[in-house]
Amino acid sequence: MRRFARFLRANPLIATGGAISLLILLVALAAPLLAPYPADAGSATHPEIALQAPSLQHLFGTDQVGRDVFSRVLYGARVSPLVALVVLLLACAVGIPLGVIAGYFGGAGDEAIMRITDVFLAFPSLLLALAFAAVLPPSLTSLTIAIAITWWPWYTRLIRGQAASVAGRPYVEACRALGIPSWRILLRHVLPNSVTPLIVQVSLDFGGVILTASALSFLGLGAQDPTPDWGLMVAEGENYFTTQWWLVTFPGLAILLTAMAFTLLGDGLRDVLDPRRVVLR
Amino acid sequence: MPGEAMLAVRDLRVTFGPVRAVDGVSLEIGRGPFGVALVGESGSGKTTVGRAILRLVPAAGGTIRFEGQDVLGLRGRPLREYRRAAQMVFQDADNSLDPRMRIGATLGEVLRAHGLAAHGLAAHGPAGRGAVGDRVAALLREAALDPELASRYPHQLSGGQRQRVAIARALAVSPRLLVLDEPTSALDVTAQARILALVRRLREERQLAYLLITHNLAIIPELCEQAVVLYLGRVAETGPTAGLLARPAHPYTLALRSAVPEVDAAARRSRIILSGDTPHAAAPPPGCPFHPRCPLAVDACRTTVPELRAVAPGRQAACHRAGEVLAGLRPPGAAPQFRGQLADELP
Amino acid sequence: MKLEIRDLQVRFGGPAARPVASVAGLTVDAGEIVGLAGESGSGKSMTILAVLGLAGTAGATVTGSVKLDGQELTGLSGAALRAIRGRRIAAIFQSPSLAFNPVFRVGELVSRTLRLHGLPAGEARERADAAMRSVLLPPDLLRRYPAQLSGGQLQRVAIALALALRAEVLLADEPTSALDVTVQAEVLELLRELRDARGMAILFVSHDLAVIAELCDRVAIMRSGEVVEQGLTGQVLAAPRHAYTRELLAAVPRLDGPGPGGPGPGPGG
Repeated sequence: MRRFARFLRANPLIATGGAISLLILLVALAAPLLAPYPADAGSATHPEIALQAPSLQHLFGTDQVGRDVFSRVLYGARVSPLVALVVLLLACAVGIPLGVIAGYFGGAGDEAIMRITDVFLAFPSLLLALAFAAVLPPSLTSLTIAIAITWWPWYTRLIRGQAASVAGRPYVEACRALGIPSWRILLRHVLPNSVTPLIVQVSLDFGGVILTASALSFLGLGAQDPTPDWGLMVAEGENYFTTQWWLVTFPGLAILLTAMAFTLLGDGLRDVLDPRRVVLR
Repeated sequence: MPGEAMLAVRDLRVTFGPVRAVDGVSLEIGRGPFGVALVGESGSGKTTVGRAILRLVPAAGGTIRFEGQDVLGLRGRPLREYRRAAQMVFQDADNSLDPRMRIGATLGEVLRAHGLAAHGLAAHGPAGRGAVGDRVAALLREAALDPELASRYPHQLSGGQRQRVAIARALAVSPRLLVLDEPTSALDVTAQARILALVRRLREERQLAYLLITHNLAIIPELCEQAVVLYLGRVAETGPTAGLLARPAHPYTLALRSAVPEVDAAARRSRIILSGDTPHAAAPPPGCPFHPRCPLAVDACRTTVPELRAVAPGRQAACHRAGEVLAGLRPPGAAPQFRGQLADELP
Repeated sequence: MKLEIRDLQVRFGGPAARPVASVAGLTVDAGEIVGLAGESGSGKSMTILAVLGLAGTAGATVTGSVKLDGQELTGLSGAALRAIRGRRIAAIFQSPSLAFNPVFRVGELVSRTLRLHGLPAGEARERADAAMRSVLLPPDLLRRYPAQLSGGQLQRVAIALALALRAEVLLADEPTSALDVTVQAEVLELLRELRDARGMAILFVSHDLAVIAELCDRVAIMRSGEVVEQGLTGQVLAAPRHAYTRELLAAVPRLDGPGPGGPGPGPGG
């Protein structure tokens, strides 16, 4: 326990990022207990108290159909971060193996994989996601799949460069000379040594995915009203921004906080994962 | 040399695009204990020869036979078996160990990949328990390292220790042939002496045959019976180490030997300073590749490539004037080329 | 005495910390090459940095005295040091490619340094060309990028820069360790010329005792941050008084050493 405390003190980035992420997780889990008006996160509407400024009864005010913004933000912790997480996991699950194989083996396989990647990367990701989302029935699931499809190529390209560089390193060559089979080299040497920049990128992408998801939700292709998706809430509140600032500000702050937490976590992880890092006196 | 050669390389050619890194190299290594030195500077192709022998780079021509069997055509299972019999200790010990793996895991991985452990244990943990752990500890001790180092990471070891781990790893598969690529280049003189002593000991204990690739002439007498001198991808001369160093038959060997700094003033020879740097292998000069820098070059050297020919029993050299060099011909008065140049600059 | 080092101590951490380099007394006169021999971690490179006034950038504190022609260098202001560094005390290091920014042509570093030390552009170019000819390199090599030159050529350009600046002292930190042995011979010969024809004072740091034996007039042996023995090279190496010097000498491989079947070398396996 003491070692853990010392570890946290030595790594303020992980400590802060981890703490906030944990907080968000707890909020997501405990939302039904914390929200004063849980029904507002669902289909309840109260048009008579619409667009009220923040007050003691409604900490974050009410939105355009009278729902408690605070409750919806709390419940939103279940939606947006989860979507982002699933998207990123899917993107990694597809992108990383393809990138590592392309980078390590090179040749025709590398060419084939990279050309496919190029096709995906040639389109602005938002348009591409739009295209996919349009052919699928609008829902959160379709949204997740659509964004994941446009996200994986970036990771493939990123990790392919790393993998190619690691593949040329003396210790990998030594493994080949020692007769260690390729799959083992990929799994135990190439992958761990290539993945660090990806970890940082993934944590930075967290906020990006949430924003992409909100754009698609705004266009009606993802989360549908009344789902308390933060992005959707920002989109819905856009028209009221100048006068009823609370509709946009609080969900926006939630996105900001979540993205920041994961970015800090990613930065800290990158430092910790390098066994060569110098211990400062 | 008793019996047939363990490793026979004939006319090896390796190209990287238009560059002929290795252009017709032949050498033989007898059954262990036996050491052959492959001597050369940058651009000589010596590292490439070593890597070609271990099938790490493709050969464009020539043959390599190990214990009578062709090596270049091996695939699959026979190739993996060859990889147990012939091993390499890489030049860059600092980078030939995975920085993210502990020493014990690195050694254990080799053992498991070749099924040299009694049973497969979890791949995590420093030395592992049971058979693998014991073998790892034994390997470390054999390389004169404390078995406790198995739980450390490479960056926590000194350069000399890392080099010994690299040697231990190569020994894990009990090879019969070892290729050592510049094993002492990045090391301090005392660490270097320890590595050389280690190789000597292993040579006797394991009856090893090895190819010692180096640019440092001073380390080859104590480890190698035979020496092969390379220049720009071709063999300049070859023969028993002692004879070759005492009475060279090639001007390049003369220059190389004269350039080695000696502590004992009595052992120093008059310097032969070669003008210029080694030409790039991509654009070799016509005729003898050494002629632009050779202090003994004649007209024939500019036009005709000298063949590797016998100049004495057991000695071969690729030089039109090899006989004369062997008989004692030396460049006229080692002309220190800088003398007088700098005087112009005096204020 | 051109360069005089007295009670120099370099340490990391507070004043109570053990110094990483400690030189009680070391002098280099004009027209002399003094060797600083030792293994990694002996503190020899830190000594060079301290003489250059650069130890502070590594986070170390320096106490003691370093005098150039009687003028005290430690404690000089940044501007004063910069005027001296490069101009009167030049330095070359193990990896010449590190001294040259890969995106600039080699000649640009040379001419920029010369101009920084007050030379007008025309004269800077002339001196650079003359210096290149002195090290037997064609001046138009200055138009190449570092990647197009070999290690030996780059090292000679670095020496040419010292020449062009008319430096009086040259600090060399393992300048030939990364070079082929024939190229090393060339660079060492060039250093001897600098000593004889230009009267340069050279402090030569190396772990290679054989090179030091051939090149240096006097030698100081360093171990774990301390100078354990010093004196005329011939004497120190022929009759070493300190056990560490003897250990280093025994470890040097000899070209005419015993064969593989003969008795083993110095330290055991």
